[in-house]
Amino acid sequence: MKDNIISKIIFLLLFVVYMLIPVLATYMFSIAVRWDRTILPEGYTLEWYLRTFQHPYFIIALKNSLLLASYTVMVDLILIIPAAYTAHTRLPWVKLQMDLLTILPFGIPRVVLALALIAVFTVPPIARSPFLLVSACSVFSMPYMYRPIANSLEAMDLRTINDAARLQGANSRQILLYIIGPNILMGVVNGSLLVFSAIFAEYTLAVLITGARFKTLPMLLVEFTRRDGRIASAITVVAFTIAMLLSITIIFIARERQKVQRIKR
Amino acid sequence: MQRQSFRVMHPGIARAIDSIWVVPFFLFCIIFEIIPIIVLIKDSFIGPSGAFTLVNYAGLKRPVYMLSFWNSIRLSAITAFFGTLFGTFIGYSILKTKTKWLKELLTALANVTTNFAGAPLAFAFIIILGENGVVTLIFARILNLHLYPYFQIYSYAGLVVAYTYFQLPLMILLIIPSFAGLQKEWREAAINMGATTYIYWRYIGFPLLAPSLIAGFVLLFANAYGAYATAYTLVASNLMLVTTQIAFVVKGEVVHNPALAKAMAAVSLLIMGLCIAIYKIAINHAAGAEK
Repeated sequence: MKDNIISKIIFLLLFVVYMLIPVLATYMFSIAVRWDRTILPEGYTLEWYLRTFQHPYFIIALKNSLLLASYTVMVDLILIIPAAYTAHTRLPWVKLQMDLLTILPFGIPRVVLALALIAVFTVPPIARSPFLLVSACSVFSMPYMYRPIANSLEAMDLRTINDAARLQGANSRQILLYIIGPNILMGVVNGSLLVFSAIFAEYTLAVLITGARFKTLPMLLVEFTRRDGRIASAITVVAFTIAMLLSITIIFIARERQKVQRIKR
Repeated sequence: MQRQSFRVMHPGIARAIDSIWVVPFFLFCIIFEIIPIIVLIKDSFIGPSGAFTLVNYAGLKRPVYMLSFWNSIRLSAITAFFGTLFGTFIGYSILKTKTKWLKELLTALANVTTNFAGAPLAFAFIIILGENGVVTLIFARILNLHLYPYFQIYSYAGLVVAYTYFQLPLMILLIIPSFAGLQKEWREAAINMGATTYIYWRYIGFPLLAPSLIAGFVLLFANAYGAYATAYTLVASNLMLVTTQIAFVVKGEVVHNPALAKAMAAVSLLIMGLCIAIYKIAINHAAGAEK
């Protein structure tokens, strides 16, 4: 039994080290004066951040990435919330097709999706435009948006809730606004955060569909990986810090939801 | 009250009005997902003359393309295997951690690091395992273990290390619920009947867990197969993978025949479809699965 515990500790320790070293090294590299001849950096500086923030393309790329992620979240929300709600409440046979359509993107590698979209949309205003990129990102991210929303809809006994509310004299608008809305809000927020962080870090679709015309943060990062590692590390830190904050928020939301469910039982 | 009388007016009309809410979603999926994929598959069967042909698929027999498929499949299989193996043990260790805060912290670590993928991940591995990387230096100076020139981060081995990094947390998050599905009472019952820990895992635990392991493996396989950013940042054109080859055609950097890229893409879709099918079947047999 004792061996068992020791082997578990070793496994967990190796896991933590393997997972943390690349992250910590990148954070440290971004504030190191020079770190390629010694085991510890030769000094610390914030110069690379200053240079990164002053770089003309950094602000543009950051803005583009934020815009792309926001638009994608909006498109997904507009398409999925009404459809998922209607499918779950009134059109059960549509629900199956929705489930299927939102699993499909998992089976399409992003390079394949980009290749397919570019071959079909060849007309100038749409071809290789940010509009096409938002569409591609929306398709790719649908599972992340749909699953949490579908889960929170499935967690509710919609028919009973509906009947009870109607008996109490509530109309459709009130049911939607005061009962369904607050109950699926967690799913909506969770899905939005997942989509936002996935698209904010999305490189493949952006580089293949719009290319240099619409530079995003990951594209700038890949460029600097070859040119200047110090700037690249600063960009990585900015991008990962945003992603990390988003996923910590998601974890907290999930915990809150578990608490709520426990109380319900 | 008017609203309700309207709803009972005619089921056909009510249904038509309900459908309005799902139409945009389906229209969007058809335009940006279904049609492009169908056109892609159709194009892969069309030759330069515009007639139906299998010449594009025959073209895939050339060594360049065979090598790309072999590299992609081997890389995906190896890293999915590592991910499944280590992810399962680590997931189990996390689940059995008694200290609650430590358990939550470790799960959170797996959760947060799933975001560390693609280009940032590739860059981080260049920093630590490049020729002047800090881990390379520590190995050389302290352990007197010289990684270079035997190991290269810009190579196949480098890709294995980097891919395993993003496979591991995914597997951990997938497998923890499956372990939770193994009821404590089953183990107690087995032990009471005289089973040893080995017997329990060999005849009860593992067979119950097997569908989850298979599901996890194919999901990781598909995950690695479709990855592009990490591979491109690390090896660019040094190593041929299916995704990098297709991307070269899209970017117009290499003069490949676009129809060949479409045939490659179609074969990739077939492989992905197979993965999803196996995943679906396996997850239906998994212990403690929701569906």
